[in-house]
Amino acid sequence: MLKFLKQVGDYTKEAVQAARYIGQGLSVTFDHMQRRPVTVQYPYEKLIPSERFRGRIHFEFDKCISCEVCVRVCPINLPVVDWEFNTEMKKKQLKHYSIDFGVCIFCGNCVEFCPTNCLSMTEEYELSVYDRHELNYDNVALGRLPYKVTNDPMVTPLRELAYLPKGMIDPHDLPADARRSGLRPEEILEQMEK
Amino acid sequence: MNSGIDVQEIFVRSLVDLGLPPGAAKAIWMPLPMLLMIIGATVGVLVTVWLERKISAAAQQRIGPEYIGPLGVLAPVADGLKLIFKEDVVPARSDPFLFTLGPVIVVIPVFLSYMIVPFGQNLVVTNVGMGVFLWIALSSVAPIGLLMSGYASNNKYSLLGGLRAAAQSISYEIPLALSVLAIAMMSNSLSTVDIVNQQSGYGVLGWNVWRQPVGFIIFWIAALAECERIPFDLPEAEEELVAGYQTEYSGMKFALFYLGAYVNLVLSALLVAVLYLGGWEFPIPLDIVANWLGVSEANPIFQIVTASLGITMTLLKAYFLVFLAILMRWTVPRVRIDQLLDLGWKFLLPISLVNLLLTAGLKLAFPAAFGG
Repeated sequence: MLKFLKQVGDYTKEAVQAARYIGQGLSVTFDHMQRRPVTVQYPYEKLIPSERFRGRIHFEFDKCISCEVCVRVCPINLPVVDWEFNTEMKKKQLKHYSIDFGVCIFCGNCVEFCPTNCLSMTEEYELSVYDRHELNYDNVALGRLPYKVTNDPMVTPLRELAYLPKGMIDPHDLPADARRSGLRPEEILEQMEK
Repeated sequence: MNSGIDVQEIFVRSLVDLGLPPGAAKAIWMPLPMLLMIIGATVGVLVTVWLERKISAAAQQRIGPEYIGPLGVLAPVADGLKLIFKEDVVPARSDPFLFTLGPVIVVIPVFLSYMIVPFGQNLVVTNVGMGVFLWIALSSVAPIGLLMSGYASNNKYSLLGGLRAAAQSISYEIPLALSVLAIAMMSNSLSTVDIVNQQSGYGVLGWNVWRQPVGFIIFWIAALAECERIPFDLPEAEEELVAGYQTEYSGMKFALFYLGAYVNLVLSALLVAVLYLGGWEFPIPLDIVANWLGVSEANPIFQIVTASLGITMTLLKAYFLVFLAILMRWTVPRVRIDQLLDLGWKFLLPISLVNLLLTAGLKLAFPAAFGG
């Protein structure tokens, strides 16, 4: 009899414990309801990509010396460099250059190793097309100036979390000149020089 | 006891005054509350779907539907329209007759159950003498439809979902019925109107939650399981069964399942409000308020205010419970099938039996407080 009563007691204790845990969980969920949504309403609002964002690659045709370093450092030898040796100039003359962004993994090795800095990363990330071959950018497409979120009159640019003032979480209704938390790179350099 | 406004009587009497025979007047009246109830239930579903999406969004720090109408209120309407225009696919080598009959059998009893939901002393489609029993009987028809559609779909996921739905409904029907039995014992009646009347007179303090706290919890858990809401949504567990018995359905047939699920949720919430939270009763007894304001209870304006307040209170209580169910959805994980059956048979069933016995004992010991 005593054993049975003990079992009943233990069972009740477990049930109460379970109910308390569920109550705790419910209070956490309830608490989330009064937090501000973190939504970025995409076509109308966009986050400003960070300085080291690796987006579409920009290419400057006239700077290129056709050394093909970009091809060698690329994990899949992706850039296509079409050049011809010009006997009069005794120089390699670039005819076409292309990168297929449907295959590119945006690792940035080509940009890192380019001896003449003719390759650079942009902040463009909207690379959706109807046909995958449209992503094969030739030197004209690669040379187009990147599009900037902050210059688009249709878009409300929002700062990313790391670029907000200290203690702020919400990028909405932020004054344009609000400083981000911490020192800026140029200030760190200044301090190092001292 | 003040009976409040009786719309039926007024309507019939005014038609008789116009020169119609009383029988014809009654026949004209009869379809009106039914139509109103069906429209009310459908609008209730639209509201619930919208609330579900908005509350879910808030719980996940999102915004939810925003551009479809003000605050996205037309999102459920858009959902419904889309489902109406979708192609109605019947899978190959299925049983087309059972496949079509399944969703119909699931939906009809749920809508029929709205007959017994009272919004006021006379604001109920029919005051059946065994109202709650009728609801329990009707709600046990639904698993037949679920099993039917799961079996007819010619799909293993559907079959598993249908079997699970049947198992779940059968095991949770019993604790549900037992906790309703305790209520019926206390109010000496199965009629929903009588159950609410038995709770009236003392405001919040008279509600059945205080006399039946265990029964309330059992009933709510069992009702959630009957509605196949998370944490008991095993029949349509998308991670394991795609969508359970709904897998092969599209278009209007799927819409029927969808509608049925939400109507059932609202219905369960309404019944919890009626059985345990005092139905249309205001937290403060209204005759006291009437005395305090110096208004006669027979005052027509007071009666209209009371009636509309009654409807509002019932809906408020029901939607509070719907809110709780949605909150629960984002809090608790789904239980396993063995845990589900364990909870039903080994926990809820004995506890509801003990609850019933205790209620019987208390009724004998304190007939004044427990409806002797």
